[in-house]
Amino acid sequence: MSIYSEKISLKYNDKSILEDINIEIKKGMILSILGPNGAGKSSLLNILSGDIESNIGNVFYDNTDIKNISIQERAFIRSVMSQNQPIVFDFSVRDIVEMGWLDKGNIKYSNNINNAIIGVLNDCEIAHLEKRKFNTLSGGEQRRVHFARSLIQLWRESGNKDSRYLMLDEPTSNLDLSHQIKLMNMLKKLANNGVGILLILHDLNLAFNFSDYIAIIKNGKLFAYDKPLNIINKNILEDVFELTFNVDIIDNKINVNYI
Amino acid sequence: MNEKNILGLNLSFLSGKQTLSLFIFLSVLILILIIAFSNGSFDFSFISLLKGETTHIERTIFFEIRIPRVILACLVGSSLAISGACLQGLFRNPLADPGLIGVSAGAALGASIIIVFGSTIFSKFVLSTFLLPIAACIGSGVVIFLLFLLTKGFGHQGVTYMLLVGIAINAIASVGIGILTFISTDSELRGLTFWTMGSFGGITWPLLLPAIFIIIIAFFFLSPVLRDLDILQLGESEAKSLGIDVQKLKYRVIFTSAATVGASVALSGMIGFVGLVVPHLVRLIAGVNHSYVIIGSALLGSSLMVIADLLARTLIQPAELPVGLITSAIGSPFFLWLIFRINKA
Repeated sequence: MSIYSEKISLKYNDKSILEDINIEIKKGMILSILGPNGAGKSSLLNILSGDIESNIGNVFYDNTDIKNISIQERAFIRSVMSQNQPIVFDFSVRDIVEMGWLDKGNIKYSNNINNAIIGVLNDCEIAHLEKRKFNTLSGGEQRRVHFARSLIQLWRESGNKDSRYLMLDEPTSNLDLSHQIKLMNMLKKLANNGVGILLILHDLNLAFNFSDYIAIIKNGKLFAYDKPLNIINKNILEDVFELTFNVDIIDNKINVNYI
Repeated sequence: MNEKNILGLNLSFLSGKQTLSLFIFLSVLILILIIAFSNGSFDFSFISLLKGETTHIERTIFFEIRIPRVILACLVGSSLAISGACLQGLFRNPLADPGLIGVSAGAALGASIIIVFGSTIFSKFVLSTFLLPIAACIGSGVVIFLLFLLTKGFGHQGVTYMLLVGIAINAIASVGIGILTFISTDSELRGLTFWTMGSFGGITWPLLLPAIFIIIIAFFFLSPVLRDLDILQLGESEAKSLGIDVQKLKYRVIFTSAATVGASVALSGMIGFVGLVVPHLVRLIAGVNHSYVIIGSALLGSSLMVIADLLARTLIQPAELPVGLITSAIGSPFFLWLIFRINKA
C-alpha cells in the first residue's frame, strides 16, 4: 500500500521543472524531501497530491491511477498542508479546523465531529485558541491550525484500516523549537499508526532523525533517494547544498553542523 | 450534525446567533415592507385598503405601481447584495463590488446594445421582455470571466490589483456605451438615457417577472455550494485537496453573480455600493460563513434598498431623487472606512 509516482516530468514554458521522478510514500513511513530553493520540491508534492498534472508519467494511490480517482475520493485518502495563503475573512480557529471535516459521504462519522475536533485541538495545543479569529494569530499558531485541519481530514475511528497519507509542505516553518519537535513526534506517532507521510523540510537534523527515507532533489532531478544513514555515509550533502558539513552519529542520532 | 435542508440550503452550518440574526433581518424586512406599502406620493391608508374601502384608482395605484416598485426594490437590493457576497467570496477579496470591479458596467453595456440595436429586430418575439435582462447577464458574465482570467494569470495579487482591473473595465464599458449613445436615434437615446439614470419608476409586472424568474434560478443554483465557497477561502489548491471541484464551484458562482447583477442592472440601471456594504454589515453582525452571509445579504439588501427607495420617492415630494444617489451617499463613506480598515490589517 503506497502512493507512488512513475517517471513523472513537468515542464513549464519549455523550462524543465521535474525530470523522470520515481518516488514512493509507503504506509507507516515518513519520507522527507530535501533540496535547495526552486529545486521542484513543492511541484513534486503538488503532482503527488493531484493538484497539478505532470506532463509525462503517472501517480498511483494504492495501485490505482490518480486520474481514475475523483477529487472527492482523493480527499479521503490524503490530506495536504501547503505553504498557506492569507484568509481574508474573519473565520474562527474552530471554523478553519472544521473545514477539514469531510461531511459529504462521511455521515457515519458525523456524530464524532465534536470529540474528534477537540481531540485534535488538544493534540496540536491550540484548544485555548478555538474561539479566536484565525487572522489574529501569529504565523506559527496559524501553521498549527492548518496542521490540525489536515489531521481532521484524515480522522478515523480507532481500528479503521483505511490507507491514509499526509503531505506537508514545510510544516515546521514559523514554529518555535519546542513545537517543531512536538510536531515531528506527532508525525512519528501517526506513522506508527499506519499513516504514510511526505514532508518537505529545510532542517537537516529534523529530516535525518525523524524520517524513514530521504529524497534529495536538485535542479528537478532526484539526486539521492535512500535511508538517512545511507545518505549520510555516501557523503553527498556537500554536493547538493554547496556547503561544508560536519556530521556526527552517536547512538543512531544524526547531528549535522554547517561550517 | 443533523442534516437540515430547507429549499436546498444546508442550514446545519448556521450557529444559534446566526439563526437569530436571520430571523431578526426577516422581521425587519417585513416591517419595512409594510411601511413602504403604506407610504408614497399618493396618500391613502393601508388599513382601508385591506378593509376594501378604497376607490378603484387607489387600488390600481397600489397593485400596478406601488407593489411592483417595492418588489423591484427588494429584488435589486437582494440581488446586488448576493452578487457582492458571491464576488467577494469567489475572488477572496473584501473590496469586490459589482459596481467597482466593472461587472455592473458590463451588464449595462449588454443592455445598451439591446436598447439600441435590439428594439427593431426583436420586439416581435413573445419573450422580448427576457431579452434585456439576458443581454445584461451575458454582459456581466463576460466581465466576471475576464476578471477571472486576468487575476488568475497574476496569482493572488492582493485586494487592490482587482480594483485597478475594474477601473480599466469600467472605462472600456463606458466607451462602448458612449459609442452606442452617439449612433443611436433620438427615441433610442431617450430610452438609453432614462435607463442609465437608474430609477425604480415606471416598472410594470411584465418587466418584473423575467427578473424574478432569473434571480430565483440563480439563487437555487448557488445554494448547494455555499459550504464549498467557505472552504475556497483557504485557497484554491487547499479546497481542491479537500475534495472540492473548484472549477465547477467557480462556474456556479460566476453564473449566479452574473445573473443577479444582470437582472438588476437591466431593471434599474447601475446602483452602486449595495453589493459592497451589505455583505460586510452582515458579516460584522454574526459571522462569515456563506450559508449565513448569502441569506443575510439577501434579506438585509432588500430592506436597505426598500428604505433607500422610500427616501428617494418621499424626501422631496412630488419630485423624486435617483435611488443610486442615496445608496452612494451611504456606501461611499463605508467604502473609505473599509479601505482604512484593510490597510491597517
